[in-house]
Amino acid sequence: MARLSGLQRDVLSLYRKCLREIRKKPVESRDNFKAYTRAEFQKNIFIGKKDFTAIEYFLRKGQRQLEMYSSPGIRNIR
Amino acid sequence: MLRSAIVRSLRASVPRAVRTPASFQIRSSPIARPAQFTPRFAYQGVRLYSAPAGLNKEEAEGRIVNLLKNFDKVNDASKINGTSHFSNDLGLDSLDTVEVVMAIEEEFSIEIPDKEADAIHSIDKAVEYILAQPDAH
Repeated sequence: MARLSGLQRDVLSLYRKCLREIRKKPVESRDNFKAYTRAEFQKNIFIGKKDFTAIEYFLRKGQRQLEMYSSPGIRNIR
Repeated sequence: MLRSAIVRSLRASVPRAVRTPASFQIRSSPIARPAQFTPRFAYQGVRLYSAPAGLNKEEAEGRIVNLLKNFDKVNDASKINGTSHFSNDLGLDSLDTVEVVMAIEEEFSIEIPDKEADAIHSIDKAVEYILAQPDAH
């Protein structure tokens, strides 16, 4: 893999944080969370490497979503 | 005369008896002792409290290979070997690589900081990292 730009590293770091949060969810719903996370990232895979504003916007959006879903009240997702 | 002889011999022996442990002490200091003895003694105390050092290269590699075999996004399982590159050989994208590294974390019950995790893109890199971690098991 080529050297990653700062933004690319931020995206991967967000994905890693999501996966770490998923570990705190009940075992039976972890796969759902994983599929959902993956789908959310996959939705924006078409965004060009140089489209900084879009990437930053989705990073912020992702961080907010992560905060929301990491609340312990949320046990499953579809 | 006998008494004076005894006193003299005592006087002669006492300083010698005092001197001998002193000279031992000097000799057992790390400067005078051969260097190979000191680390062994220092190490033994630590070993008593720790689990036996567990991982060898083959075991770590085998566990990572097994983990990848169970990973459903690998497009060609026959290509998995000790030096496979995650994206070039196994067809994983960057998100999959993150997933693999997280799975490795879980397998060896360690936590890999982001900076190191970003540098792991191949099985041999992962094995190298795992072996460098003292608390991986």
